[in-house]
Amino acid sequence: MMRIHKSIWFVLFLSLWELLARSGRFSPLVFPPLAAVFKALFHALASGELLQETGFSILLILEGLLVGAVLALLLGMASSLSPLLRSFTEALAALAHPLPGIALLPVIILWLGTGRASILFIIIHSVLWPMLLNVMTGFRAVPKVLAETGRNFGVRGARLFLEVYVPASLPYLLAGLRIAWARAWRALISAEMIFGAVGGKGGLGWYIFKQRVFMDTAGMFSALIVIILIGILVEEVIFERVEAATIRKWGMTDQ
Amino acid sequence: MKRGLLKLIALIIAASLTAAGCTPKETSGSGSRIAIAEQYGLAYAPLQIVKELKLLEKNLPGTVVEWKQLGNTAAIREAMLAGEVDAGFMAIPPFLIGWDKGMPWKIACGLSKSPVGLVTNREEIRSLRDFGDKDRIAVPQPGSVQHILLSMACEKELGDPHKLDNQLVTLAHPEGMSALLSGRDITAHFTAPPYLMKELAEPGMHEVLNGRQAMGGDFTFIAGVTTAAFHDKDPRAYKAFVRSIQEAIDYINNNREKAAAILAEAYKMPEAELLSYLLMEDAAYTTVVEGIEPFAQFMERNGYISKVPGELNEIVWEDVHDENP
Repeated sequence: MMRIHKSIWFVLFLSLWELLARSGRFSPLVFPPLAAVFKALFHALASGELLQETGFSILLILEGLLVGAVLALLLGMASSLSPLLRSFTEALAALAHPLPGIALLPVIILWLGTGRASILFIIIHSVLWPMLLNVMTGFRAVPKVLAETGRNFGVRGARLFLEVYVPASLPYLLAGLRIAWARAWRALISAEMIFGAVGGKGGLGWYIFKQRVFMDTAGMFSALIVIILIGILVEEVIFERVEAATIRKWGMTDQ
Repeated sequence: MKRGLLKLIALIIAASLTAAGCTPKETSGSGSRIAIAEQYGLAYAPLQIVKELKLLEKNLPGTVVEWKQLGNTAAIREAMLAGEVDAGFMAIPPFLIGWDKGMPWKIACGLSKSPVGLVTNREEIRSLRDFGDKDRIAVPQPGSVQHILLSMACEKELGDPHKLDNQLVTLAHPEGMSALLSGRDITAHFTAPPYLMKELAEPGMHEVLNGRQAMGGDFTFIAGVTTAAFHDKDPRAYKAFVRSIQEAIDYINNNREKAAAILAEAYKMPEAELLSYLLMEDAAYTTVVEGIEPFAQFMERNGYISKVPGELNEIVWEDVHDENP
């Protein structure tokens, strides 16, 4: 039922768009008709350019997510071992968490230059802190009895974390990953819009910027469509599936 | 629940239709307000004079002038398309890209010629030939005058206008300068004053290429462009606009010391430094427009625009002085 409702809304949005585009009130440079947008999308996909840029962005974000998530797990483990380390990570997170990655950009250009490393840094920054906060909360919420039981079975050290703490706090970890993904994706697109290689690859954000400078409005919208599709794919399909196969199957959450 | 949903849909449709029914903001031609967009740099100096001496207010009494400083040409173009800006200042290549895509605008006047140059922090780079695969060159954006000039030089010297395209990085002038000075991946920066002089004043920096070498002659760096709506609806305002620019340019050319004092304050630069810039050989303020044809031909040949203007009056308003080298 929800799905049918949602699709009705989509159709409605699209018809409204076409209606406005055809009303003749706006220049096609401002409001291109859907046909022009889909034509631009088709050409950009067929030439391989948009796919290449998308691949570039996705690879970057996966790399950043992986590094950020692993770092967050390690820091989370460390901080549940000693109160001193915990105060350290909490202080670090309190300082860094409120900083938008884009605000750091001028500093990052000075430190790391303008290449892939800088964008990666921004992604890791947007992933690490929300993820870390969720890891710490999640670990703290693990019932003592589970940890004690694990210890009684002789599970210690890293194994205790991987076999008891991580599964027991999975709802928190997945929620953290969702926030991290959303932040990283936004940070990535904005960072790419600020610098990129004129002829080489620069990702989806760069693609949009390039269409903007050469005044290809339909081309700009075609890249926006790709961004929307990826967002839907990741949030509604991938995360949904992972949650269904883990925390919902295990009865850890009822949603 | 169902009825609530339907009501909401009806409401949204009604709202959007009313929105569509409203005409875009009418700003131009009313005679009471002119919005002008510029970017940052010494090439825009006459506009500072127009502002400080209130020349537009003098030439068109009762006008409210609204000045906007925007970050790049694309933003100016979009503001003009949205009807928020009547006149914008930019280089010829971005103007041609807009014209090619159907922007209803033409050049009203030239504003400045300016030294522009490719500055590098690597001693061994003496010409475009010396750039290796690892070098990265910062330019303000693809399709900018700096990018086009660099491509022109690549065509001349290396035989391929796109030779260095894969090594270009887009950075606004201030970021480009700090990236170059930090000595990391950016090894060269194509820029304009005041960044050009600031960079060259640093130890270890030198110029590989200047604008005149790239173009093979003189060219207008920044020109004034107005929308057709502004030009057609209020000829009096349009004329006052062009006259004000001319008066500002005459003022700078006839009173260099006084102009330098006004500009030094506006640009927060030492007066002596500003005066020495005004006296530089390559810097000139003039309403004459130069270099449209070579830019257009190069850009058309390399696919940046799809056509070359047939008649000059397709791209410039009447009474514009054009000189082609």
